[in-house]
Amino acid sequence: MRRLLRDLRARIERRARAWIRRRQGADTDPVALRRQRIYILPTRLGVAYGAMLFAMLLGGMNYNNNLGLGLTFLLVSLGLVTMHHAHGTLAGVQLRLLEAIPGFVGSDVRFRLLLEHASNVARPALEIGFARDDPGNVTADLPPRGSREATLVLPAQRRGRVELERFVVSTSHPFGLFRAWAVVHPAYSAIAWPRPAERAMTPPLTATDTGGAQSGAIGAEDFAGLRPFQAGDSLRRVAWKTYARGQGLHTKQFAGTDVVSHIFDYDSLAGLPVESRLEQLCRWVLDAQEHGEAFALRLPGTSIETNVGPAHRERCLNALALFDVPETARA
Amino acid sequence: MREPNAPSRIRGLDWVLAALAAAVGPHVPHVPAWVTLLLLAVCAWRWTADLRGWRLAPLPLRVVVVLVSTVAVFGTYRTLNGIEAGTAFLVLMAAAKLLETRTSRDLTVIVFISWFLLYAALLREQSLSQLPWLLGSAFLTAVALMRVHASSAQAPARHIVRRTLQLLLQAAPLAALLFLLFPRLPGPFWGIDSRSEARTGLDDEMTPGDVSDLSASGEVAFRARFFGVTPRPEQRYWRGPVLHEFDGRSWRRPSAQSFPQPQVTFRGPAIRYQITLQPHARRWVLALDLPSAWSEREVTQSFDLTLLSARPINNVAAFELTSHSDYTAGQSLAESMRRKDLALPRDGTNARSVALGRNLAARHVGNPRAIVGEMLTMFRQQPFEYTMQPPRLADNAVDEFLFTTRKGFCEHYASAFTVVMRAAGVPARVVTGYQGGEFNPFGGYLIVRQSDAHAWSEVWIEGRGWMRVDPTAAVAPERIRGSLIDAVAEDEPVPGRLRDASPIWLQVELGWDAVNDFWNQRVVRFDAQSQFDLLDRLGVDDPDWRALGLGLAGSLAAFFVVLSTYLAWRYRPPPRDWPGRLHDAVIARLRKRGLTPGPAEGPVAFIERAERECPDLARTLADIRKLYAALRYGPAPRTDDLQRLKHAVNSLRV
Repeated sequence: MRRLLRDLRARIERRARAWIRRRQGADTDPVALRRQRIYILPTRLGVAYGAMLFAMLLGGMNYNNNLGLGLTFLLVSLGLVTMHHAHGTLAGVQLRLLEAIPGFVGSDVRFRLLLEHASNVARPALEIGFARDDPGNVTADLPPRGSREATLVLPAQRRGRVELERFVVSTSHPFGLFRAWAVVHPAYSAIAWPRPAERAMTPPLTATDTGGAQSGAIGAEDFAGLRPFQAGDSLRRVAWKTYARGQGLHTKQFAGTDVVSHIFDYDSLAGLPVESRLEQLCRWVLDAQEHGEAFALRLPGTSIETNVGPAHRERCLNALALFDVPETARA
Repeated sequence: MREPNAPSRIRGLDWVLAALAAAVGPHVPHVPAWVTLLLLAVCAWRWTADLRGWRLAPLPLRVVVVLVSTVAVFGTYRTLNGIEAGTAFLVLMAAAKLLETRTSRDLTVIVFISWFLLYAALLREQSLSQLPWLLGSAFLTAVALMRVHASSAQAPARHIVRRTLQLLLQAAPLAALLFLLFPRLPGPFWGIDSRSEARTGLDDEMTPGDVSDLSASGEVAFRARFFGVTPRPEQRYWRGPVLHEFDGRSWRRPSAQSFPQPQVTFRGPAIRYQITLQPHARRWVLALDLPSAWSEREVTQSFDLTLLSARPINNVAAFELTSHSDYTAGQSLAESMRRKDLALPRDGTNARSVALGRNLAARHVGNPRAIVGEMLTMFRQQPFEYTMQPPRLADNAVDEFLFTTRKGFCEHYASAFTVVMRAAGVPARVVTGYQGGEFNPFGGYLIVRQSDAHAWSEVWIEGRGWMRVDPTAAVAPERIRGSLIDAVAEDEPVPGRLRDASPIWLQVELGWDAVNDFWNQRVVRFDAQSQFDLLDRLGVDDPDWRALGLGLAGSLAAFFVVLSTYLAWRYRPPPRDWPGRLHDAVIARLRKRGLTPGPAEGPVAFIERAERECPDLARTLADIRKLYAALRYGPAPRTDDLQRLKHAVNSLRV
């Protein structure tokens, strides 16, 4: 019996989802929650409240008790007024994507969203998530004419693009008796990088000594001076002694003959399955970046020249993530 | 210090506890003390547990608490039904729920219980004086609910209170509409538990001391509004239960009442009036002696001429009655009736009184009027005293009163008189009710209080029928013509009306009583007829249920339109400032030329592009651009820049 009910409920929910998707179509950034797309239903507490009021109404009519009826009518009105307030709290909120943060397979990708509105009234208790009553849902209180950030987290299960197909913005402000919600079908996606392989295989090393010609390449041999620390610099290169003297964070620069530079080649890993190759390349990229070494990446059809730095790393990881991934046919 | 793994503090608990306490308040005098104490203990424990991070009660303990309290309530009331047992049960359920409150949902359940308790308090009592407390509690409960569901833990209480007040004020008009127009269907749909709580008022038993106790209460018993002349004070005998059975000390109503209905003939002018009874949990309807007609079909008249409602009067109830003060009740007395109203206990109690009665009978054979007269003369001439604080009487209560103490209240006189009459062979009975009443000039009605409670006798006189004899009138005529205050000694405490109250205070009291009367008439007794009258006054011809339904639907729709409009206005985006509006106007005009700003194109860049694409407008557009930039981004815009921008935009001809 319970299973039957659960199945029925799941079916109704599926139908409703499909209907809402058809009705609204895909959204483009930024998404404004207009009145027409806000749905509202009583919560479980709201249903209990309604049942209580119905009992009160029957009792009041049975005993011909006007004051009991009066309290009942006051509570009925209060409930209906809060229904309108729940709807009003949500209508007029605007959402935009700030950043889609990539992640490795096995961890999460994140979508940083900005919720904003222009009205002079605060909009408390907004909830963003994928399902109702999900403990992972994020709550935000919008101050008057202000904005708030909310981050949605999706597990990165497969390499490639992780689509944020659907999420729900809702509120049960002010009394939790009614829940107003809007479904958003955004065109947001984040990249899931391959899971880095275990550190088992050493990368093929190509040591070159090009003197000063390779200005971008930075070696590990000769100390060439200090420059201010930048995000992404290896912690091994931080001049801790300088830091200890209170002169700020600096990174040691090296130059000279023994520049370590790699070429990570997909074809060099013949004999492994595709995903294992990508995972191995991913590991090498991460380690090289960690050690401050330069590297180039060769994939069939893609070639990224030798370089260093976080942007380079991300470019390479993205290339690995999107290698041979068919662009999903999205509208 | 909190334990490391303690449940985090639950939001709004303090408010919910306060709301629950406020909602239980009106029930405290009505539920057993242990129920209140248990709830208080659980509240204190739950609050401390929250503060200290204690663990909550385990499931078996909660089950035990629920079972034990259910059994205890059942043991106390023999039922879980009805207001009394129901509220006690609800209070205990709230306590049990408090043992396990972890989530906002649990707290919401307690909020619902609080509201239900307030509702139960209204079912019990509809007086105006308790309304502020109940409304305050309902409000506090709403604040608690808002607090439980506010998302940010740090929202200031002041803010929450203000928001809740706003919501309630917005709900109030709708509540008023529903109250006025929601159809009031007559009559109960299912059986009402006829057991009801004891209330102040007349009983169907009278022991010496009862009426004087009742007289110590200044509560209003009923109010009477006369259509026409208000009867004189000595005519204001309000007939209540009639007592026939005497056991030597107490008088009772007979349980089985299968006596023939007497024939009554009325003479003289009819007195028409409306009586509004405060709930007294009994069936009798107090009526001016003697009622001749009444409008309610549910009211019947008993064999001893008391009006009885079909059900106990548990709500404020109004009756339209007609009475005649001149009447003849009963052509003949049935034998069963005569036996009943001559019966005296045969155990030899009150022997001296019985002897007195026999002596009277022997001296006035066949002349009951003379017997009555001589007895009244005895009360009048011998040193009898009318007092609210009579001495205690032992077994031979009537003897002691008549021959020893000689101090008594109306019930002593009525009881002793009736006993002597029966001993003298004159059928007699005790009538209880009220005598007198105070006219309220603010409302134009008579207030009859419990302190006006009275007892008198009726004797059967062949050919004349039942005749009212009030022995108190013989002892203390002031009591009948005036009121209690005039009749008792000066040092006796008198309820209700302070003996030395200032006239201003008396006026205030009467004014407040008039307000209460208005409340009873207009709110507590608002019914289907009042609804039709309302529609009639609003200009609806021949209002019926359909008109009522249409009115309700229409006004609800209007309310929701207004509310939605108000909310849309409240959440509206702020208006654009003047430069922004003028720029919008420029965009609207350039659209005619097929120009629209790109998604990333700023106002200045867009106008620059327009200047290039529409050379004929270039000069005006350049002016607009410069003025706009000066107003928006300039260090110190000149005061007439806006005026000039308006002018430039207006002169833009496309």
